[in-house]
Formats: sequence, C-alpha cells, structure tokens
Amino acid sequence: MSLDGGIQVRTAMPAADRVANLNRWRRKSLAEKSALALGMLLLAILLPPFPAALVIAAIMAAAALIGARAPAGIWLGFAAGPVGFLLPGAAMLTVQIDAGGIALAPDGLATAAGLIARSFAGLTCLLFLALTTPITDLLAGMRRLGLPAEVTEVALLTYRFIFLLADTAMAMDAAQAARLGHDGVKRRLRSLGALIANLLPRAMDRAKRLETGLAARGWEGEMRVLPQQAKLSVSGMILVIALEAATAAIGVFLS
Amino acid sequence: MTLLETSGLVYSYPGGVLALNGLNLKVKRGRRLAILGPNGAGKTTLLLHLNGTLRPASGQVLLDGAAVSYSRAGLSAWRRRVGLVLQDADDQLFAASVAEDVSFGPLNLGLSEHEARLRVEETLAALNIADLAERPPHMLSFGQKKRVALAGAVAMRPDALLLDEPTAGLDSHGAAHLLGVLKKLEATGTTLVFTTHDAGLAYGFAHEVALFAGGQVLAQGEPEKVLSDTALLEASHLRLPLILGLGLKARACGLLAEGAPLPRSGQDLELLLEKAAARQLSI
Repeated sequence: MSLDGGIQVRTAMPAADRVANLNRWRRKSLAEKSALALGMLLLAILLPPFPAALVIAAIMAAAALIGARAPAGIWLGFAAGPVGFLLPGAAMLTVQIDAGGIALAPDGLATAAGLIARSFAGLTCLLFLALTTPITDLLAGMRRLGLPAEVTEVALLTYRFIFLLADTAMAMDAAQAARLGHDGVKRRLRSLGALIANLLPRAMDRAKRLETGLAARGWEGEMRVLPQQAKLSVSGMILVIALEAATAAIGVFLS
Repeated sequence: MTLLETSGLVYSYPGGVLALNGLNLKVKRGRRLAILGPNGAGKTTLLLHLNGTLRPASGQVLLDGAAVSYSRAGLSAWRRRVGLVLQDADDQLFAASVAEDVSFGPLNLGLSEHEARLRVEETLAALNIADLAERPPHMLSFGQKKRVALAGAVAMRPDALLLDEPTAGLDSHGAAHLLGVLKKLEATGTTLVFTTHDAGLAYGFAHEVALFAGGQVLAQGEPEKVLSDTALLEASHLRLPLILGLGLKARACGLLAEGAPLPRSGQDLELLLEKAAARQLSI
C-alpha cells in the first residue's frame, strides 16, 4: 500500500537528479548540451593535455557552475569521488619497479600530471551533462537517435520505480527503527532481510496497480507521450562549436 | 437517465473472499454519486468493475442500457467514456514529466500531437497546475500528485469519472480545492462517481449516496434519506454525519420547518442558527 497515512518520508531523490531538473539550463536543447559535453570530452581525449585539458576543465566547470548555476557544493561532492581514485592511480605512474628496486620513472611526473589533467577534464564534461540534463531527456534523445522504444520505456519505468521503491524502503526502515528493529547488529540484519523480502511483493503489487491505472487511460501496449522538446537554438549551437574550435586551436598550437 | 448500471454483480478475490455479493447500482447522468462504505468493504473493487478492469463472476454491467463487452475493442470503447482516478496517485503517474503523463490518455484516444498538446495545456490550466508541466512526478507534493493524476483522466474528457477516495490524505484546503475542481468538471458534462468512507463528505458533496457494505448496496438515494437511517448506518459501521444530525435536531426542535431543506454544509447551518436567533430576538 501507499505511504499516505503512514510515515511520510522525504522523497529520496538524489541531489544530482534534483539539480538536473531545476538548473538554469534545464530547458536548453539536449543537442546543445550534449554537443558541448561530448565534444569537449572528445577534445580532452584527443588533444595533448597541456594546455587543452586545463582550458576544457575551466570551460566545463564554468558552464556547470556559472552557466547552469549548479550548486558548487554538489559539483565538488560529485567530483571528489572520481578524483579520489584518480590521484593514487596517477601516483603509481611516477615510480618504476624493476630489478634494481623502486625508482622514479623517467618522465613519470609529466605522465602522471597529463593523466590527471586529462581525466579531470573528462570528468568535468560528464559532470556538466549529469547536472544539467535529467536522465529522461537523455533517454528521449537516445530514442530519437534510434534506440528501440521498448528499451527506453523499460528504462523510464525502472527510473520511476527506483524513486517509489526507495521511498517505500525508507518508510519501512523508519518504521522498523521506531519499533527498535535496529538495536544491535543481529536485529538490524534481520530487519534488513525482512525489508528486502517485503519490497518485492510490494513492487509487484505496485506494478499491477500501475497497469490498472494505465489501462484506464487506454493503454494497449505502447506508451506514447508528448515529449517536452526544447527548441534548438542555432546561436547556442554555433557558440558551442566556436568554443570547441577555439579550444582545439589552443590545444594544438600552444602545446 | 442512467449512464452506468450494474445488476447482480458477484466477485470473489483470488483466495475466495467474497467482495461483491449480488450488487446493484445505478449511476445517473449528471448526478454526483457517492459510494459510501467502511474500510475494506470493497469500494475499490466495485470501481474497478465499473471500468472493466475486473470482470464479475456473474452479473452484468450496463453502459447506456446495453451490456458491455469485455473484448479488446469493447473495453477500449468503455474506457473512453468512463475514466478512473486511483486513490494512490503514484500508481498512475509514470512518465518523465507532468505534461507527458497527462498527454498519455489523449494520445491513446488517437488525437494528433497538436490536439493532444492543446488538450494537455487546457487541462493543466483548468486544474491550476500549469506551472508544474515540466516537473517529474517524484518532485511533486502529495496534493500535487493527486491533481496530476486527476488531470490524466480529465484530459480524456470522459462521460463519467470514477474517483477512488479523491480527498483521502488531503488537508482541508487541498480537499476543498479538489472538490471545487470536480464541480467545475461536472459543469462541462462529466458525471462524477466517487468512493469514500467519510459520511460527512458523502452528505455534503453528493447528489445521491449508495451505502455499500457486505458486498451489496444496502440503499441508494437522496443523501438525507439514506444517511438518516440509523439502523442502516449502524449495520455498515458508519455514523450519522454531524451536519445532518444537527439539521435533524433543528427540525425536531422546530427551528427548521418540516418541509424546509436540511443544511448541507457548515455555512448552511450557520445561516439557520442566525435566522433562529433573529426570530427569537424579534419575539
């Protein structure tokens, strides 16, 4: 059953999804945003890292933080994870282990710095896309590019159900805690097991009711809705391309 | 004129519990009908019979006097005319945004994209939720979700709209707003049928009440009549609505003339008291 009347839990919506839906560039067309993000990503991979990677990282961070006004805290939070993997990985490149023992690798520092710069630039590109474009827009775009409707429909429903199930799970968790189900590791494990076991029949039940709701509105196997398509702005697209051309020029001639 | 009718519906849940036991109900065009029953009476089950989601073991559903068909085409034609809004809005909202979700029904009706778009805009404006058009469903409040779910059904412009506990869980402001929207909708020619366990709501809002308990409609008719039958209410685990009780008392005490209409709302009751007080002062 639903949560209404029971415990109300704040929607378990991840911060990234909230930002993606509410940022200032939410209505910019998917074509512009993905051309900027994926184009810059490609440049970050192809161009020599200095100075291109730094330029790209600066542009993409500015695009996300100043252009789309994504909150800096969230941007940093999402960047911190990958960077945490990146730094120790790159550190390994600076040393060399051979029969003589451990030594500084020739060009090791340069290689590591290049790797860090390049990866970080790529990261800023993906972060920009993730924080400005809801997943549903990306799915709609993939469908326009020819991904079969069945796949995108299943992905969309899965996405929708994640939030519903997360809400249910959080409510059940709170209810268990209220009845002392979290006291001690043993009880906590048992509660978790019960929660998971309960979630499946609930999900099935919900799916059935969703089907009833859809059938009442004339569903016969195909989910057609009117997509909210943002208009492609020609000047925006030209700006994106110009920016990428300039970055490529800087990357090639100043390296 | 009868729009929807059931005769002798029998239905058991899987597992054998009897939900409907020879149920007869009439939905008249333009008459707001409350299906009033206690928790667990099977109100939702009954509604699901009225749009063909569930099929009775025996008995019949009649649409405009003709037995309905459960064929694919029959169900489709039926559901074009009879819309349904589930109690839990989350069971109904599936699309990426409010506007997309509301467009689902109109597109299934076979409207062109342009017509569907107009229909969506119109419906969202009528329900005062145009500003939510691009929100994803998981970013809506409970009351907003309820309105969006209603919009999804309203956008199909059904002849009759079935609402399962439409005000359940809403605060009094939200409930009043929803009822106002429903009245507006009714004015465009949609017949409203709603379930509730709230005798006060049934009394204050419906033109007609069907008292539903034990798998049967025990009585159907004017709210004053059905809801003042204390034996019947007792048998269905329901209570006399407060306003009706006070109105009957006023009549018994002579504050209200024998033939005069009983108060239906708190406002009616206040007026009645004011008049009574004025009379007393003039004596």
